[in-house]
Amino acid sequence: MNKKRIGFMILFSFMLAIVLAGCSSKSNPAKESKDQDNSKPKDELVLSFGSEPATGFDPTTGWGRYGSPLFQSTLLKRDDDLKIVNDLATDYEVSEDGKVWTVVIRDDVKFSDGEPLTAEDVKFTFETAAENGSVVDLNVIEKIEVVNDTTIQFTLKEVQSTFVNSLVATGIVPKHAYTKDYAENPIGSGPFQFVQWDKGQQLIVEANPNYYGKEPYFKKITFLFLSEDAGLAAAKAGTVDFVAVPAAFADTKVPGMTLKSVKTVDNRGIVFPYVPSGEQTEDGLPIGNDVTADPAIRQAINIALDRQALVDGVLGGYGSPAYTSVDGLPWWNPDTVIEDGDLEAARKLLEDAGWKDIDGDGILEKDNLKAEFSLYYTADDAVRQSLTIAVADMLKPLGISVKVEGASWDVIAQKMFSEPVLMGWGSHDPHEMYNIYGGANAGVDWYNTGYYKNETVDDYFAKALQARSEEEALEFWKKAQWDGTTGLSAKGDAPWAWLVNIDHLYFVKDGLDIGKQRIHVHGHGWPATDNIADWKWSQ
Amino acid sequence: MRQAIQTDRLALNRRHWMIFFTIFAAVFLALVVIGGTFLNPERIATNFQEKNLAPSLHHLFGTDWLGRDMFSRTVMGLSLSIKVGLIGAIGSTFIAVSLGMIAATMGKAADRIVSWLIDLFLSVPHLVALILIAFTLGGGFKGVVFGLMLTHWPSLARVIRAEVMQVRSSEYVKISKRMGKSSVWIAAHHIFPHLLPQMIIGFLLLFPHVILHEAAVTFIGLGLSPHEPAIGVILSESMKYLSSGMWWLAFFPGLSLLLIVRIFDWVGENIRILADPTKAHE
Repeated sequence: MNKKRIGFMILFSFMLAIVLAGCSSKSNPAKESKDQDNSKPKDELVLSFGSEPATGFDPTTGWGRYGSPLFQSTLLKRDDDLKIVNDLATDYEVSEDGKVWTVVIRDDVKFSDGEPLTAEDVKFTFETAAENGSVVDLNVIEKIEVVNDTTIQFTLKEVQSTFVNSLVATGIVPKHAYTKDYAENPIGSGPFQFVQWDKGQQLIVEANPNYYGKEPYFKKITFLFLSEDAGLAAAKAGTVDFVAVPAAFADTKVPGMTLKSVKTVDNRGIVFPYVPSGEQTEDGLPIGNDVTADPAIRQAINIALDRQALVDGVLGGYGSPAYTSVDGLPWWNPDTVIEDGDLEAARKLLEDAGWKDIDGDGILEKDNLKAEFSLYYTADDAVRQSLTIAVADMLKPLGISVKVEGASWDVIAQKMFSEPVLMGWGSHDPHEMYNIYGGANAGVDWYNTGYYKNETVDDYFAKALQARSEEEALEFWKKAQWDGTTGLSAKGDAPWAWLVNIDHLYFVKDGLDIGKQRIHVHGHGWPATDNIADWKWSQ
Repeated sequence: MRQAIQTDRLALNRRHWMIFFTIFAAVFLALVVIGGTFLNPERIATNFQEKNLAPSLHHLFGTDWLGRDMFSRTVMGLSLSIKVGLIGAIGSTFIAVSLGMIAATMGKAADRIVSWLIDLFLSVPHLVALILIAFTLGGGFKGVVFGLMLTHWPSLARVIRAEVMQVRSSEYVKISKRMGKSSVWIAAHHIFPHLLPQMIIGFLLLFPHVILHEAAVTFIGLGLSPHEPAIGVILSESMKYLSSGMWWLAFFPGLSLLLIVRIFDWVGENIRILADPTKAHE
């Protein structure tokens, strides 16, 4: 009997010890993660992103458009204030008529394999990219000529001030080492060189000893491609230094890490069919929608939506109201900001335009036309789904009935010319504005699906594209949005109802300095790497 | 003596109780369907002031991340599931009866073909066949309903086939034939009355099966749009919020689905016992 009791007591105290030990280790997680820091070399970094570049690391097929190309370097680049500065180039010049661009490049640049980078490589890169044609649009180039080893001349078919963005975004590939599997085994002149890529798992890079620019602080960087849940778990376990997370995880506490939110032009908005129904595309898809063709409907929706409520409700406060596709960028016109969330003003606007609820069913009518339409969104995106549902509920009291439809992109491609769709854009290239609002792009790819066309706006676009430099073009980009009487923003024709810019959220290990993050573009994760060569430990 | 009478009365009552409970359960199911159909859609409107609330008296099942009332969404989802289940089960029963009759009455070749079809469908797991069919038809409401109809008939078809064969070979049918009755008359007066209970019970027992499969298909995102209040959709989206501690999003809808399916199963089982003459005295 006694023996038994002693045995119990030993067992009990043993269990107590385990429980207490568990408590004490739990109560001191900060210390633990610091210990882990010390065990890992200071010049290595582990990042976790949700998505990997599925097509590999070939700049001629689109790699590096969002975020740093890592392995390659570009002729020009944008600094932290989004100003264009030299990278490979030492100077560039645009001819009087704006059609000939002459770029002079450094003569001391070597690829990571030791071969020198010359004008021939630049020519080869742009010719390959123009040939590939898919993501990178270089149709405007007529010919490329090598003047000497360090000078290259681009001749354009027409004047295009935004061509400079092609020089900013296209990493230079080596002509001598460009093979079929280049995308999986890239060689370039960028700050890092390629070590290993396990598809779907990780990418390992190390500092390029031949890099001509500032030596990056981190000698080895590992990019993990983890799902959202796995990324968060890795952060909690202290195995990653930087992880991209969705807004749903923003309130989670991760020991030793701080939440960092970055402003973006990663925007979401509703594109309305701008023309009345009746027409068809070449493929026989219907164009136009009689309800949304009425400017009063589009403007009333823009005024009635409470964008701040969407930011707070759907994005948990991590976002900002969106008024155009370029909020906060140098070519944004701040006059486009409107007073929103004003149901009364919207109601009056609709009434003045002849929309009345005659049969008392809560939906407005005008000449036997009911104020109702379907709003499509991509079914696999929870944020878009939430935004769409919230918008439909916000417009109900106004008397506009919105039928929410979740679908795949394939289905949306059939419907997008005749029904409003929730879409997202956002780029550091002002050319995007021309793509989605220019009359010439009506019905082209995913651009201008609403067939928006305004002569005055198109005129400003033409002037902006014909400008000799980006600074000169700024004025016209701004006027295209709103020039006091008309424009593509909600104050003018309102072909879109922009809703929100989604902040990008990251958990960053305490002490990691990720520099000044520029306004991020569409696409989660990679935009943060834009300035990765500047990252360092601050302590 | 008195004791004997008492048990006798109780035994009689058991059957009555069974009928009573079955009716009660059926009314409950009907209420869910009617409730889901006529519930004001305003109740699942977004309301950012009341998002992520735990269950309370005001919101019995809590609210989701858009502030929608989960009780209303669940009832609407169940109602939709039952309706889809109804269409699916009726369609399946119809196919089963047609094929069963064809196999039993139209000769050896027809029998072989139908039996082969039954074997084929039984050899492929339900859910796989269902996903394939729903996918081929482009998903959506139509895809799910047709998928359910085309996958759930084989077992019932086999029962019907055997039943028809048995009745056809029975003596009174043979006598009927000799007496010059037409085959239509025989089918209507001899075979059909025998099939009716099999059909009804088969239909009722298919029902829970169909509902569960509907929930499964919508859960993996093949069926309805993700904003529609289908029970599978509700469950799959709740998965995303489990790690942030919102257990009520999955718990109540899941429990309700289980309850509804169990009640259906139970009603079907009861009716089978009540209808079975050999068990009339149990």
